[in-house]
Amino acid sequence: MQTTPASSDTELQADNLRRAAIDKSVKGPVLFLFTNGAFWLMFSTILGVLAAIKLVEPEFLGHAPFISYGRLQPARINALVYGWGVQAALGVMLWIMARRSGQELKHGKSLLITAGVFWNITITVGILAILMGKSTSIEWLEMPKFVWPVLLACFLCYAWPIARMFGRAFRPEGFMVSTWYILGACFWFPWIFITANVALHCLPGLGALGAGIDAWYIHGVILLFFVPVGIGAAYYFIPKITGQPIASAQLASAGFWTLAILGGWTGMQKYMGGPLPAWMTAVGAATGVLLLIPVGLVGLNHHLTTLGKHSAVASSPTLRFIFFGALFYPVSGFVLALNSAFWTGSALQFTQSWYSFQVVSVYGFFSMCVFGAIYYIVPRLSGCEWLSVRLIRNHFWFSVYGIGTIVVMSLVAGWQQGADLNNPEHWDQNFMNHVVNSRAYVVSRAVAWALISFSNLMFLLHLLLMVAGLGRRSSAPTLLHREHDEHALPAHA
Amino acid sequence: MNFRSFILGLAAAFGLPWLCLIVIPVVKYQQLTPVAYDKDKDGVEGMFPPAPINAQGQLVYVREGCNQCHTQMIRPSQLGLDGWYKGWGQDQEARPVAARSNVLRDYLSEKYALLGIQRVGPDLTNFGWRAPEAAALHVHFYAPRSVHDWSTMPAYTQLYKLQKIQGPPSDRALKLSKKFAPPAGYEVVPTPEADRLVEYLLSLKRDYPVPGQSAAVAASPAKK
Repeated sequence: MQTTPASSDTELQADNLRRAAIDKSVKGPVLFLFTNGAFWLMFSTILGVLAAIKLVEPEFLGHAPFISYGRLQPARINALVYGWGVQAALGVMLWIMARRSGQELKHGKSLLITAGVFWNITITVGILAILMGKSTSIEWLEMPKFVWPVLLACFLCYAWPIARMFGRAFRPEGFMVSTWYILGACFWFPWIFITANVALHCLPGLGALGAGIDAWYIHGVILLFFVPVGIGAAYYFIPKITGQPIASAQLASAGFWTLAILGGWTGMQKYMGGPLPAWMTAVGAATGVLLLIPVGLVGLNHHLTTLGKHSAVASSPTLRFIFFGALFYPVSGFVLALNSAFWTGSALQFTQSWYSFQVVSVYGFFSMCVFGAIYYIVPRLSGCEWLSVRLIRNHFWFSVYGIGTIVVMSLVAGWQQGADLNNPEHWDQNFMNHVVNSRAYVVSRAVAWALISFSNLMFLLHLLLMVAGLGRRSSAPTLLHREHDEHALPAHA
Repeated sequence: MNFRSFILGLAAAFGLPWLCLIVIPVVKYQQLTPVAYDKDKDGVEGMFPPAPINAQGQLVYVREGCNQCHTQMIRPSQLGLDGWYKGWGQDQEARPVAARSNVLRDYLSEKYALLGIQRVGPDLTNFGWRAPEAAALHVHFYAPRSVHDWSTMPAYTQLYKLQKIQGPPSDRALKLSKKFAPPAGYEVVPTPEADRLVEYLLSLKRDYPVPGQSAAVAASPAKK
């Protein structure tokens, strides 16, 4: 355990050497994934600003087809999900699994880099294809259908060594909740990805069932890939930095298994009242609400673990990002429950509140946890410390305010849209009220994405400097509040 | 718990919903075929659904990502007032009679039903009933703001061709208002793609009666 102080100096030194060797073994692939992911994130958020503007003012920058909202929005969501999300997740998964299982990445480093290169080329081709008018219009699977086998192969190149490390270090008596989540993500993502792609691209037409499968796919990727990676990172870093063990192993275990059992059922409530058999949407809606259980269990556990350690949140960049990321997890569960429950869902269906859920879970929760992890991991791989407290602080605050704005505004906008849509007095009118009433919310969305783009610019520059080895040469980590030294952190924080 | 039972646990937890929500429904969906109306009970003849979708026009719809803002799904009355909107179904001119909510067979001939992501614009399930004539629809695609100045719909100018008038003007040229009109001596004509898209939209009439339900049942709000 890294959190228990070693009994003697030699032991500590041996421990440090062992960790350094593990870090060195995964350095190439992990830094490659983080850097490319950060570029995609930048790309996605800038297009996010543009897409929001185009939704209010379609004549902005002219009528070029590749920047019309219908192409821009899927392109940028795909960049966010596959360009940034999956890549950054793989980097974090690989590093945490190597460290937690105490295994070096023995061979296949060049294979991992090659897979990473292919991943990025494929995404680039796919996103260009969407912008050029080859979109499939299947949400989150808009890239043309030749893309998915390549992506799957690249993912498996990473999943295999991660699973091997887990298998070699598995100890029945030891409870390693962060690696459980990460292995789960490794295991479920290919399954969900293959199922959705085979069903939607290879089988003959599935009609409305296809739309249901697509909604299931989106929620599966969020709940059984992004969420486990985010929670896994939180469970790894919170105890490590606060120096507290995880408050309750029972809560951790229950939170994991309830998520595993419920996660696969939800999603189809997106089309409740639609052509799908009613039981499918009903099951989805019910689990959408029941998912509050794992959300609550994990949230309670994190709360108990960080209790009394909030000064560490103020000073450690990693903990600060992860702490706020972990706070967004209950928020995302709450938004999902609102969208799913019959009483609120009927008003929120087909409105911006579904967008709110995607943003809060992929960006607010998952990405914030991953940012925290990156602030911890990269100095250990590049051999230098983060240059500037100010850059980190700006990255943090602009992200938090940006995400908060999008989530709150999209929820309110969703309620407004639903109220407009279900207003009996509008029955014989055109759509003017809906369009005009939601305009202000979309403007706020554009502003929020602009804030986030600004924060990502700082993150990207900072990361590039670190990867280039231009960071601070120092043995002391970059902390946000130096004056809080009385709550001294462990040396490795 | 050993490694093997852990993996089995992961597989079982996800495998059950995978089997019940995806595999079995997909297999059963393959057996879904059009059904014939019963003349005595339904009052109409022929098959339900009557015609396959206009796949060529749908391709343009797919390519441009129209489903980002337009849904194609009428919800039952307990969920929303979709069916009561004027023109969102057949026969709702003077007195609102709810259009029926959709069933699985409505989308039988479609490879992937474009049920939609958000409802930024109006629902298009039964757009064919309320659609203006094709020429007006072309004007709407070329210059949405010439129809409604508040519209946030993108202008799909790439589906139209700006050409010099040679000889007599084309009878297909768009009749645009002054602000959106091409320069003198030029005209805007639809490309074949624009024609396919318009044909597709005009063909969207998904409120045919469902066999086995009388027209009155089909028209009344669905029971909870």
